[in-house]
Amino acid sequence: MSDSGMGGCPGSRMQDFREDTKGGKVEGGVRQSQLKQWPIQLHLVSPEAPYYQKADVLLSADCVAFTVGDFHKDYLKGKSVAIACPKLDEGQEEYTEKVKSLIDDAKINTLTVMTMQVPCCAGLVAIAEEALHSAKRKIPIKSIVVSLQGDVLSEEWVS
Amino acid sequence: MHKYLNTPIKEVIMKFPQVGKILEEYKIGCVPCTLGSCLLKDIVAIHNLSQAQETELIYRIEKTIYPQRDIKRPAFKQAAKKTAVKEIKYSPVIKRLIDEHALIKKWIGLIPEVIENVDIASDSGKKLILDGLDFIRFYADKFHHAKEEDILFGYTDKNLDIIKTMLADHETARGHVQAMIRALDKGDKKTVFAHLNAYKELLSEHIKREDEILYPWIDRSISTTQVGELFTKFNEAEEKLDKEVIEKCKKFVQEVEQRVQKIKTEKKEVTK
Repeated sequence: MSDSGMGGCPGSRMQDFREDTKGGKVEGGVRQSQLKQWPIQLHLVSPEAPYYQKADVLLSADCVAFTVGDFHKDYLKGKSVAIACPKLDEGQEEYTEKVKSLIDDAKINTLTVMTMQVPCCAGLVAIAEEALHSAKRKIPIKSIVVSLQGDVLSEEWVS
Repeated sequence: MHKYLNTPIKEVIMKFPQVGKILEEYKIGCVPCTLGSCLLKDIVAIHNLSQAQETELIYRIEKTIYPQRDIKRPAFKQAAKKTAVKEIKYSPVIKRLIDEHALIKKWIGLIPEVIENVDIASDSGKKLILDGLDFIRFYADKFHHAKEEDILFGYTDKNLDIIKTMLADHETARGHVQAMIRALDKGDKKTVFAHLNAYKELLSEHIKREDEILYPWIDRSISTTQVGELFTKFNEAEEKLDKEVIEKCKKFVQEVEQRVQKIKTEKKEVTK
Protein backbone atom coordinates (compact mmCIF):
# COMPACT_ATOMS: atom_id res chain seq x y z
CA MET A 1 0.00 0.00 0.00
CA SER A 2 1.35 3.40 -0.80
CA ASP A 3 0.27 6.53 0.97
CA SER A 4 0.22 10.02 -0.49
CA GLY A 5 2.12 11.08 2.61
CA MET A 6 -0.39 13.82 3.21
CA GLY A 7 -1.83 14.27 6.64
CA GLY A 8 -5.40 15.26 7.41
CA CYS A 9 -8.52 13.20 7.70
CA PRO A 10 -7.82 9.46 7.35
CA GLY A 11 -11.26 9.11 5.80
CA SER A 12 -10.31 11.14 2.73
CA ARG A 13 -6.52 10.73 2.56
CA MET A 14 -5.42 9.27 -0.78
CA GLN A 15 -4.06 5.73 -0.65
CA ASP A 16 -3.06 3.46 -3.53
CA PHE A 17 -3.78 -0.27 -3.16
CA ARG A 18 -2.96 -1.30 -6.73
CA GLU A 19 0.11 -3.30 -5.75
CA ASP A 20 -1.74 -5.09 -2.93
CA THR A 21 -4.55 -6.32 -5.13
CA LYS A 22 -2.26 -7.78 -7.80
CA GLY A 23 -2.09 -11.54 -8.02
CA GLY A 24 -5.45 -12.19 -6.40
CA LYS A 25 -7.12 -15.42 -7.42
CA VAL A 26 -9.43 -14.94 -10.37
CA GLU A 27 -12.57 -16.98 -9.92
CA GLY A 28 -14.95 -17.94 -12.65
CA GLY A 29 -18.70 -18.23 -12.50
CA VAL A 30 -21.40 -15.80 -11.59
CA ARG A 31 -22.37 -15.27 -8.00
CA GLN A 32 -25.95 -14.67 -6.96
CA SER A 33 -26.66 -11.26 -5.44
CA GLN A 34 -27.88 -11.60 -1.87
CA LEU A 35 -29.81 -8.33 -1.95
CA LYS A 36 -33.49 -9.03 -1.35
CA GLN A 37 -34.99 -5.55 -1.37
CA TRP A 38 -35.07 -2.08 -2.84
CA PRO A 39 -34.51 0.72 -1.87
CA ILE A 40 -31.54 0.43 0.45
CA GLN A 41 -30.56 4.02 1.33
CA LEU A 42 -31.58 4.77 4.92
CA HIS A 43 -33.46 7.95 3.96
CA LEU A 44 -35.47 6.02 1.39
CA VAL A 45 -36.28 2.80 3.21
CA SER A 46 -39.52 2.29 5.10
CA PRO A 47 -39.57 0.38 8.40
CA GLU A 48 -43.02 -0.82 7.34
CA ALA A 49 -41.57 -2.80 4.43
CA PRO A 50 -42.29 -6.52 4.84
CA TYR A 51 -38.65 -7.53 4.54
CA TYR A 52 -37.80 -5.60 7.70
CA GLN A 53 -40.39 -7.22 9.92
CA LYS A 54 -38.64 -9.27 12.65
CA ALA A 55 -35.57 -9.38 10.37
CA ASP A 56 -31.87 -9.40 11.08
CA VAL A 57 -30.90 -6.01 9.70
CA LEU A 58 -27.54 -4.90 8.38
CA LEU A 59 -26.87 -1.17 8.66
CA SER A 60 -23.85 -0.62 6.49
CA ALA A 61 -21.72 2.41 5.84
CA ASP A 62 -21.75 3.18 2.10
CA CYS A 63 -18.11 2.27 1.50
CA VAL A 64 -18.19 -1.15 3.19
CA ALA A 65 -19.65 -3.11 0.28
CA PHE A 66 -16.85 -1.86 -1.99
CA THR A 67 -14.06 -2.93 0.34
CA VAL A 68 -15.21 -6.34 1.56
CA GLY A 69 -14.71 -8.85 -1.25
CA ASP A 70 -17.24 -11.33 0.05
CA PHE A 71 -19.76 -8.79 1.31
CA HIS A 72 -22.77 -10.49 -0.25
CA LYS A 73 -21.86 -14.03 0.80
CA ASP A 74 -20.58 -13.30 4.31
CA TYR A 75 -22.56 -10.30 5.52
CA LEU A 76 -25.57 -9.48 3.37
CA LYS A 77 -26.91 -13.01 2.98
CA GLY A 78 -29.99 -13.59 5.13
CA LYS A 79 -30.27 -9.95 6.18
CA SER A 80 -32.30 -6.92 5.22
CA VAL A 81 -30.15 -3.90 4.63
CA ALA A 82 -29.95 -0.13 4.94
CA ILE A 83 -26.97 1.98 3.96
CA ALA A 84 -25.84 5.43 5.01
CA CYS A 85 -22.80 7.64 5.27
CA PRO A 86 -22.39 9.17 8.73
CA LYS A 87 -19.89 11.68 7.36
CA LEU A 88 -21.54 13.13 4.30
CA ASP A 89 -25.27 12.47 4.54
CA GLU A 90 -27.61 15.22 5.67
CA GLY A 91 -30.57 14.86 7.97
CA GLN A 92 -28.97 12.33 10.28
CA GLU A 93 -31.46 12.99 13.06
CA GLU A 94 -33.95 11.26 10.77
CA TYR A 95 -31.61 8.28 10.68
CA THR A 96 -31.90 7.90 14.44
CA GLU A 97 -35.68 8.03 14.22
CA LYS A 98 -35.73 5.51 11.39
CA VAL A 99 -33.52 3.02 13.21
CA LYS A 100 -35.69 3.51 16.30
CA SER A 101 -38.73 2.70 14.17
CA LEU A 102 -37.02 -0.43 12.83
CA ILE A 103 -36.51 -1.53 16.43
CA ASP A 104 -39.94 -0.61 17.81
CA ASP A 105 -42.27 -0.92 14.81
CA ALA A 106 -40.61 -3.47 12.53
CA LYS A 107 -39.53 -5.36 15.67
CA ILE A 108 -36.27 -6.35 14.06
CA ASN A 109 -34.45 -9.30 15.61
CA THR A 110 -30.89 -7.93 15.54
CA LEU A 111 -28.99 -4.99 14.11
CA THR A 112 -25.49 -5.42 12.69
CA VAL A 113 -23.67 -2.16 12.00
CA MET A 114 -20.80 -2.41 9.53
CA THR A 115 -18.43 0.53 9.34
CA MET A 116 -15.03 1.44 7.98
CA GLN A 117 -12.07 1.88 10.29
CA VAL A 118 -11.94 5.63 9.62
CA PRO A 119 -12.98 7.66 12.69
CA CYS A 120 -15.92 9.45 11.09
CA CYS A 121 -17.59 6.11 10.37
CA ALA A 122 -18.07 5.42 14.08
CA GLY A 123 -20.95 7.89 13.89
CA LEU A 124 -23.12 5.15 12.40
CA VAL A 125 -22.68 2.97 15.50
CA ALA A 126 -23.51 6.03 17.60
CA ILE A 127 -26.73 6.53 15.62
CA ALA A 128 -27.70 2.89 16.22
CA GLU A 129 -26.93 3.11 19.94
CA GLU A 130 -28.86 6.35 20.31
CA ALA A 131 -31.84 4.83 18.51
CA LEU A 132 -31.71 1.79 20.79
CA HIS A 133 -31.47 4.00 23.84
CA SER A 134 -34.62 5.87 22.88
CA ALA A 135 -36.52 2.78 21.67
CA LYS A 136 -39.03 0.91 23.83
CA ARG A 137 -37.73 -2.48 22.75
CA LYS A 138 -34.23 -3.71 23.33
CA ILE A 139 -32.34 -5.77 20.76
CA PRO A 140 -28.75 -6.98 20.38
CA ILE A 141 -26.52 -4.72 18.27
CA LYS A 142 -23.29 -5.96 16.73
CA SER A 143 -20.54 -3.73 15.40
CA ILE A 144 -18.21 -4.91 12.64
CA VAL A 145 -15.34 -2.64 11.65
CA VAL A 146 -13.47 -3.26 8.40
CA SER A 147 -10.17 -1.93 7.15
CA LEU A 148 -9.77 0.11 3.99
CA GLN A 149 -8.72 -3.09 2.25
CA GLY A 150 -11.66 -5.13 3.43
CA ASP A 151 -10.26 -7.06 6.40
CA VAL A 152 -12.49 -7.42 9.43
CA LEU A 153 -10.69 -5.58 12.23
CA SER A 154 -13.23 -6.21 14.97
CA GLU A 155 -16.57 -7.87 15.43
CA GLU A 156 -18.30 -7.44 18.74
CA TRP A 157 -21.67 -7.05 20.36
CA VAL A 158 -22.10 -3.51 21.62
CA SER A 159 -25.42 -3.96 23.39
CA MET B 1 -7.34 -43.72 19.29
CA HIS B 2 -10.86 -43.53 17.84
CA LYS B 3 -11.99 -45.82 20.66
CA TYR B 4 -10.67 -43.50 23.38
CA LEU B 5 -11.93 -40.33 21.70
CA ASN B 6 -15.40 -41.85 22.14
CA THR B 7 -14.84 -42.92 25.75
CA PRO B 8 -16.09 -40.97 28.80
CA ILE B 9 -13.25 -38.90 30.21
CA LYS B 10 -13.43 -40.46 33.67
CA GLU B 11 -12.68 -43.89 32.23
CA VAL B 12 -9.81 -42.51 30.19
CA ILE B 13 -8.27 -40.74 33.20
CA MET B 14 -8.73 -43.77 35.45
CA LYS B 15 -6.91 -45.92 32.96
CA PHE B 16 -4.31 -43.31 32.01
CA PRO B 17 -3.91 -40.79 34.88
CA GLN B 18 -1.30 -38.89 32.88
CA VAL B 19 -4.07 -37.81 30.48
CA GLY B 20 -5.69 -35.86 33.34
CA LYS B 21 -2.41 -34.06 33.97
CA ILE B 22 -2.01 -33.23 30.28
CA LEU B 23 -5.56 -31.84 30.17
CA GLU B 24 -4.81 -29.67 33.20
CA GLU B 25 -1.87 -28.14 31.35
CA TYR B 26 -4.41 -26.87 28.84
CA LYS B 27 -6.66 -25.59 31.65
CA ILE B 28 -9.13 -28.41 31.03
CA GLY B 29 -10.19 -29.38 34.53
CA CYS B 30 -11.80 -32.79 34.06
CA VAL B 31 -9.94 -34.51 36.92
CA PRO B 32 -12.10 -33.19 39.80
CA CYS B 33 -15.36 -33.61 37.84
CA THR B 34 -17.70 -35.89 39.74
CA LEU B 35 -19.49 -37.25 36.68
CA GLY B 36 -16.83 -37.38 34.01
CA SER B 37 -19.25 -38.69 31.43
CA CYS B 38 -18.20 -36.28 28.65
CA LEU B 39 -16.46 -37.99 25.76
CA LEU B 40 -12.80 -37.16 25.22
CA LYS B 41 -13.50 -35.89 21.68
CA ASP B 42 -16.21 -33.50 22.95
CA ILE B 43 -13.90 -32.19 25.66
CA VAL B 44 -11.20 -31.42 23.15
CA ALA B 45 -13.68 -29.75 20.80
CA ILE B 46 -15.47 -27.65 23.40
CA HIS B 47 -12.51 -25.83 24.96
CA ASN B 48 -11.82 -23.13 22.36
CA LEU B 49 -8.25 -24.24 21.78
CA SER B 50 -6.37 -23.00 18.76
CA GLN B 51 -5.81 -25.49 15.95
CA ALA B 52 -2.15 -25.86 17.01
CA GLN B 53 -3.10 -26.48 20.64
CA GLU B 54 -5.74 -29.03 19.68
CA THR B 55 -3.34 -30.93 17.40
CA GLU B 56 -0.67 -30.93 20.08
CA LEU B 57 -3.09 -32.07 22.78
CA ILE B 58 -4.37 -35.01 20.75
CA TYR B 59 -0.82 -36.00 19.86
CA ARG B 60 0.27 -35.99 23.51
CA ILE B 61 -2.78 -37.97 24.64
CA GLU B 62 -2.28 -40.53 21.89
CA LYS B 63 1.40 -40.85 22.83
CA THR B 64 0.38 -41.45 26.46
CA ILE B 65 -2.18 -44.10 25.57
CA TYR B 66 -0.03 -45.85 22.98
CA PRO B 67 3.60 -45.28 24.04
CA GLN B 68 4.85 -48.11 21.80
CA ARG B 69 3.19 -46.74 18.69
CA ASP B 70 5.20 -44.83 16.18
CA ILE B 71 3.08 -41.70 16.05
CA LYS B 72 4.35 -38.97 13.83
CA ARG B 73 4.80 -35.73 15.69
CA PRO B 74 2.58 -33.20 13.91
CA ALA B 75 4.05 -29.92 12.78
CA PHE B 76 3.16 -27.39 15.44
CA LYS B 77 4.95 -24.67 17.27
CA GLN B 78 6.42 -25.78 20.59
CA ALA B 79 4.97 -22.78 22.34
CA ALA B 80 1.44 -23.68 21.28
CA LYS B 81 0.22 -24.67 24.73
CA LYS B 82 1.54 -21.46 26.23
CA THR B 83 -0.52 -19.35 23.86
CA ALA B 84 -3.20 -17.47 25.73
CA VAL B 85 -6.74 -18.65 25.20
CA LYS B 86 -8.49 -16.42 22.67
CA GLU B 87 -10.18 -13.40 24.18
CA ILE B 88 -13.85 -14.06 24.75
CA LYS B 89 -16.37 -11.38 23.86
CA TYR B 90 -19.77 -12.62 24.83
CA SER B 91 -23.03 -11.98 23.04
CA PRO B 92 -25.59 -10.06 25.12
CA VAL B 93 -27.54 -13.23 25.93
CA ILE B 94 -24.56 -15.11 27.31
CA LYS B 95 -23.34 -11.96 29.06
CA ARG B 96 -26.72 -11.72 30.79
CA LEU B 97 -26.36 -15.25 32.16
CA ILE B 98 -22.81 -14.55 33.30
CA ASP B 99 -23.97 -11.38 35.06
CA GLU B 100 -26.61 -13.44 36.84
CA HIS B 101 -23.89 -15.85 37.90
CA ALA B 102 -22.06 -12.94 39.49
CA LEU B 103 -24.93 -12.36 41.94
CA ILE B 104 -25.32 -16.09 42.66
CA LYS B 105 -21.57 -16.31 43.30
CA LYS B 106 -21.85 -13.41 45.74
CA TRP B 107 -24.42 -15.33 47.79
CA ILE B 108 -22.59 -18.65 47.73
CA GLY B 109 -19.38 -16.81 48.61
CA LEU B 110 -21.11 -15.63 51.80
CA ILE B 111 -22.31 -19.10 52.79
CA PRO B 112 -19.18 -20.06 54.85
CA GLU B 113 -19.57 -16.86 56.88
CA VAL B 114 -23.26 -17.54 57.34
CA ILE B 115 -22.56 -21.09 58.53
CA GLU B 116 -19.95 -19.84 60.95
CA ASN B 117 -21.79 -16.85 62.32
CA VAL B 118 -25.53 -17.27 62.05
CA ASP B 119 -27.59 -18.94 64.76
CA ILE B 120 -30.52 -20.55 62.99
CA ALA B 121 -32.25 -21.18 66.29
CA SER B 122 -32.88 -17.43 66.50
CA ASP B 123 -35.76 -15.87 64.57
CA SER B 124 -33.45 -13.60 62.59
CA GLY B 125 -31.08 -16.48 61.83
CA LYS B 126 -33.91 -18.69 60.63
CA LYS B 127 -35.25 -15.83 58.51
CA LEU B 128 -31.87 -15.32 56.91
CA ILE B 129 -31.70 -18.99 55.90
CA LEU B 130 -35.27 -18.89 54.58
CA ASP B 131 -34.49 -15.75 52.57
CA GLY B 132 -31.37 -17.47 51.29
CA LEU B 133 -33.47 -20.43 50.16
CA ASP B 134 -35.89 -18.02 48.47
CA PHE B 135 -32.95 -16.50 46.65
CA ILE B 136 -31.89 -19.95 45.45
CA ARG B 137 -35.40 -20.93 44.42
CA PHE B 138 -36.47 -17.70 42.73
CA TYR B 139 -33.27 -16.13 41.47
CA ALA B 140 -30.83 -19.00 40.91
CA ASP B 141 -33.47 -21.49 39.83
CA LYS B 142 -36.61 -19.85 38.40
CA PHE B 143 -34.92 -16.74 37.05
CA HIS B 144 -31.59 -18.20 35.93
CA HIS B 145 -31.67 -21.99 35.56
CA ALA B 146 -35.09 -21.84 33.90
CA LYS B 147 -33.64 -19.66 31.13
CA GLU B 148 -31.04 -22.33 30.52
CA GLU B 149 -33.38 -25.30 30.71
CA ASP B 150 -36.38 -23.88 28.86
CA ILE B 151 -34.58 -21.72 26.32
CA LEU B 152 -30.79 -21.82 25.94
CA PHE B 153 -30.23 -25.58 26.07
CA GLY B 154 -32.84 -25.94 23.33
CA TYR B 155 -30.24 -24.42 21.02
CA THR B 156 -27.81 -27.24 21.83
CA ASP B 157 -27.96 -30.99 21.58
CA LYS B 158 -29.59 -31.97 24.88
CA ASN B 159 -28.03 -35.41 24.57
CA LEU B 160 -24.56 -33.97 24.98
CA ASP B 161 -23.00 -35.14 28.22
CA ILE B 162 -22.08 -31.64 29.31
CA ILE B 163 -25.73 -30.56 29.02
CA LYS B 164 -26.88 -33.67 30.89
CA THR B 165 -24.33 -32.88 33.61
CA MET B 166 -25.60 -29.31 33.94
CA LEU B 167 -29.22 -30.50 34.15
CA ALA B 168 -28.24 -33.12 36.73
CA ASP B 169 -26.55 -30.36 38.77
CA HIS B 170 -29.78 -28.33 38.71
CA GLU B 171 -31.70 -31.34 40.04
CA THR B 172 -29.10 -31.99 42.74
CA ALA B 173 -29.30 -28.33 43.77
CA ARG B 174 -33.10 -28.60 44.04
CA GLY B 175 -32.64 -31.68 46.21
CA HIS B 176 -30.38 -29.72 48.59
CA VAL B 177 -33.00 -26.98 48.86
CA GLN B 178 -35.76 -29.48 49.71
CA ALA B 179 -33.52 -31.15 52.29
CA MET B 180 -32.75 -27.78 53.86
CA ILE B 181 -36.42 -26.85 54.12
CA ARG B 182 -37.21 -30.16 55.86
CA ALA B 183 -34.24 -29.82 58.23
CA LEU B 184 -35.08 -26.21 59.00
CA ASP B 185 -38.60 -27.23 60.06
CA LYS B 186 -37.08 -29.67 62.50
CA GLY B 187 -34.49 -27.15 63.72
CA ASP B 188 -31.77 -29.54 62.56
CA LYS B 189 -28.93 -27.05 62.22
CA LYS B 190 -26.31 -29.65 61.30
CA THR B 191 -28.27 -30.95 58.30
CA VAL B 192 -29.22 -27.43 57.14
CA PHE B 193 -25.60 -26.36 57.10
CA ALA B 194 -24.39 -29.62 55.55
CA HIS B 195 -26.75 -29.12 52.60
CA LEU B 196 -26.02 -25.41 52.39
CA ASN B 197 -22.34 -26.18 52.16
CA ALA B 198 -22.95 -28.94 49.60
CA TYR B 199 -25.02 -26.48 47.56
CA LYS B 200 -22.16 -23.99 47.68
CA GLU B 201 -19.64 -26.61 46.50
CA LEU B 202 -21.95 -27.81 43.73
CA LEU B 203 -22.85 -24.38 42.39
CA SER B 204 -19.28 -23.05 42.57
CA GLU B 205 -18.05 -25.83 40.31
CA HIS B 206 -21.19 -25.69 38.13
CA ILE B 207 -20.85 -21.95 37.49
CA LYS B 208 -17.14 -22.28 36.79
CA ARG B 209 -17.79 -24.92 34.14
CA GLU B 210 -20.54 -22.85 32.55
CA ASP B 211 -18.57 -19.59 32.55
CA GLU B 212 -15.35 -21.11 31.29
CA ILE B 213 -16.48 -23.93 29.03
CA LEU B 214 -20.16 -24.28 28.24
CA TYR B 215 -21.15 -20.65 27.66
CA PRO B 216 -18.16 -19.75 25.47
CA TRP B 217 -18.80 -22.90 23.43
CA ILE B 218 -22.51 -22.11 22.99
CA ASP B 219 -21.68 -18.51 22.16
CA ARG B 220 -19.35 -19.65 19.39
CA SER B 221 -22.01 -22.03 18.07
CA ILE B 222 -25.02 -19.71 17.82
CA SER B 223 -25.69 -17.43 14.86
CA THR B 224 -26.56 -13.73 14.96
CA THR B 225 -30.19 -14.64 14.28
CA GLN B 226 -30.20 -17.05 17.21
CA VAL B 227 -28.70 -14.40 19.50
CA GLY B 228 -31.65 -12.16 18.62
CA GLU B 229 -34.15 -14.98 19.21
CA LEU B 230 -32.62 -15.86 22.57
CA PHE B 231 -32.58 -12.19 23.58
CA THR B 232 -36.31 -11.89 22.89
CA LYS B 233 -37.13 -15.20 24.60
CA PHE B 234 -35.11 -14.25 27.70
CA ASN B 235 -37.00 -10.94 27.88
CA GLU B 236 -40.35 -12.71 27.54
CA ALA B 237 -39.41 -15.23 30.24
CA GLU B 238 -38.36 -12.45 32.61
CA GLU B 239 -41.57 -10.52 31.99
CA LYS B 240 -43.57 -13.49 33.25
CA LEU B 241 -41.81 -13.36 36.61
CA ASP B 242 -42.64 -11.08 39.49
CA LYS B 243 -40.15 -8.19 39.24
CA GLU B 244 -40.52 -7.41 42.94
CA VAL B 245 -39.38 -10.90 43.92
CA ILE B 246 -36.28 -10.56 41.72
CA GLU B 247 -35.51 -7.15 43.23
CA LYS B 248 -35.98 -8.65 46.70
CA CYS B 249 -33.44 -11.34 45.81
CA LYS B 250 -30.92 -8.74 44.71
CA LYS B 251 -31.51 -6.79 47.90
CA PHE B 252 -31.12 -9.96 49.96
CA VAL B 253 -27.51 -10.45 48.84
CA GLN B 254 -26.70 -6.86 49.79
CA GLU B 255 -28.30 -7.33 53.20
CA VAL B 256 -26.42 -10.56 53.90
CA GLU B 257 -23.16 -8.89 52.92
CA GLN B 258 -23.87 -6.06 55.35
CA ARG B 259 -24.97 -8.46 58.09
CA VAL B 260 -21.91 -10.67 57.76
CA GLN B 261 -19.70 -7.59 57.79
CA LYS B 262 -21.44 -6.34 60.94
CA ILE B 263 -21.01 -9.69 62.71
CA LYS B 264 -17.32 -9.78 61.78
CA THR B 265 -16.81 -6.24 63.07
CA GLU B 266 -18.59 -7.07 66.34
CA LYS B 267 -16.43 -10.18 66.75
CA LYS B 268 -13.31 -8.13 66.25
CA GLU B 269 -14.51 -5.68 68.89
CA VAL B 270 -15.07 -8.49 71.40
CA THR B 271 -11.63 -10.01 70.84
CA LYS B 272 -9.90 -6.62 71.35
